[in-house]
Amino acid sequence: MKRAYKFFLLLYPREHRNQFSDEMTRVFEEASAERRAQGWARYVRFVFAEMNGLVTGAAGAWLGRQPASQVDGASPSGLPQELAEAQQRVDANIAAMVHAIANHQFEKARVHSHEERQARENLRLLRQKYGISD
Amino acid sequence: MRHVATKTYTPDPKPLTEPVLLILTSLADQPRHGYALIQDIGSLSGGRVRLSTGTLFGALRRLLEDGWIERFEQEDTSRQKQAYRLTAAGRKQLQLELDRMKQLTRAGITRLRAGEAV
Repeated sequence: MKRAYKFFLLLYPREHRNQFSDEMTRVFEEASAERRAQGWARYVRFVFAEMNGLVTGAAGAWLGRQPASQVDGASPSGLPQELAEAQQRVDANIAAMVHAIANHQFEKARVHSHEERQARENLRLLRQKYGISD
Repeated sequence: MRHVATKTYTPDPKPLTEPVLLILTSLADQPRHGYALIQDIGSLSGGRVRLSTGTLFGALRRLLEDGWIERFEQEDTSRQKQAYRLTAAGRKQLQLELDRMKQLTRAGITRLRAGEAV
């Protein structure tokens, strides 16, 4: 279950994951142990609520996020403009995908997932071009 | 002479959401880490509210960004077990919300009594 939880954490923006993923996983494990001891029915309800909470939490994290580039109009971390734009396209597609999942629009989510893969591949090629590692 | 800029705190006039109100209330008496917050909030709400980790950490992130809570360094703190505590701004915001609720409760009780008397 921990593996599934960590997989769902990938829906969050990278900054959120860097800041909280270890802590969230630890809290999930502690709460899991407590709920398992209370019986399977409660545990299943708990797991469902947790996964649902992760999807809606990730949607909130993406929608409430204001990239540094939008605050002062600067490209983040002084990256080349086309690289910054490619990263923004990846982020925007993930945000749209998570939002679609949270609203049970799975067909729309699949479309954004496909576009996100393409945007990520484009980003990988640009990183290669500029000699920047992940 | 060194000039020190002081940041003035303007309270948020909007009512707090239930998770935020419960988190601030839970941190009002002492710092708590994530799992302790979930347990305490369950107890504060009489078992009615059980925050998921997604909801809890989404709210904690916003509260940290707004400066209403801060990370609290403990001797045994690891990256995986981080405690949080209220800041002065968070305490002020909680106080304002409780005052607002108190006022609403008083008005509600008065009207209920007036309705019963008719």
